Amino acid sequence: MAQISEHKYPHVSLWQIFTLFFTIGITGFGGGMAIVALTERLVVREKQWVTSEEFLHGLAFGQILGPFSLNTCTFVGYRLRGVSGGVLAAVGFMLPSFLIVSLLAWLYLRFQHLHLLKKALSATNPVVIALICAVVLDMGKKQVRGLNGLLLALAAFAAVALFKLNVALVLVAGLVWALASALWQREH
Amino acid sequence: MLSLAWTFLKVGLLFFGGGYVLLPLLQHLLVEQYQWLTLQEFLDGVAISQLTPGPLAILATFAGVRIGGFSGGLVATICVFLPCVVLMLLVGRWYDRLKEINLIRATLDGVLPAVVGLVASAAWSLGSTLAGVQQWLLLVGAFVVFRYTKVNPMLMILGAGLLGMLV
Repeated sequence: MAQISEHKYPHVSLWQIFTLFFTIGITGFGGGMAIVALTERLVVREKQWVTSEEFLHGLAFGQILGPFSLNTCTFVGYRLRGVSGGVLAAVGFMLPSFLIVSLLAWLYLRFQHLHLLKKALSATNPVVIALICAVVLDMGKKQVRGLNGLLLALAAFAAVALFKLNVALVLVAGLVWALASALWQREH
Repeated sequence: MLSLAWTFLKVGLLFFGGGYVLLPLLQHLLVEQYQWLTLQEFLDGVAISQLTPGPLAILATFAGVRIGGFSGGLVATICVFLPCVVLMLLVGRWYDRLKEINLIRATLDGVLPAVVGLVASAAWSLGSTLAGVQQWLLLVGAFVVFRYTKVNPMLMILGAGLLGMLV
């Protein structure tokens, strides 16, 4: 395997990988970037399993491919111990959340008609919608640039909210459009 | 169970540009197309999945448990995360050779405005579950807090839940 730096990979056992990412999966509250910061602290600074440069590259790819907190864990695990390292890091990181949500979902479905739970959830619903609105505004400020971007955002919104088009279809159409304009810009 | 697996695998293949694109996707599939969940249950599921450190996509676990019990939750979770884990393993493998990275980046950056629009459409339809002045006031208040402070969303949701029980 060709490495970009002379960093020597320490020998890390699969069990060590699993337990470390499991711990991150339990304690990493505070959203995606907070988890990445915690991971960086542990695997780069403290244990020196990977270099800072490699970690940042992994993060960049992870952001392209969706849930970057999980993706960064998978990447680090892979660099240390190949496919089994990557899979164990991913499973270790997700396991606590999976167990918590399964338990809460079970409780929710069992006690859905409980008066107190209903009252609690009727108060959390507006907060969840507010969170989504805040994310829209935040993402919009960062990602929607220029008239083209604004038109694309409005078109996607209208297609789904007003014309009830299939979300996946709109997303794929957006991707094709983005690829075409990226190719266009490269040629000109 | 097979259609459940296939549905979540499809979703897993489509989610880039941050976990939030999952909201309109899953809402469309689970609530409108297959009617496995009501809009209310979907919203409660989002609240519950925000209580964990996992990415927002852990919402798939909630939906899976609702549809097919514990095994449904397990299948949904594995399927929704399988594509990104496999892709990330490939990235780790071809790390040094990803030459077309600029084009990929430009394409994915280019689609982000559409993602913003799609997430906004999710907020739009979820808003239809709100009833009464109290809930709208809570929405505005929470929005202001999210907008101007860095408070942890998990704490806000827990706090709102407690408030709802007391009032």
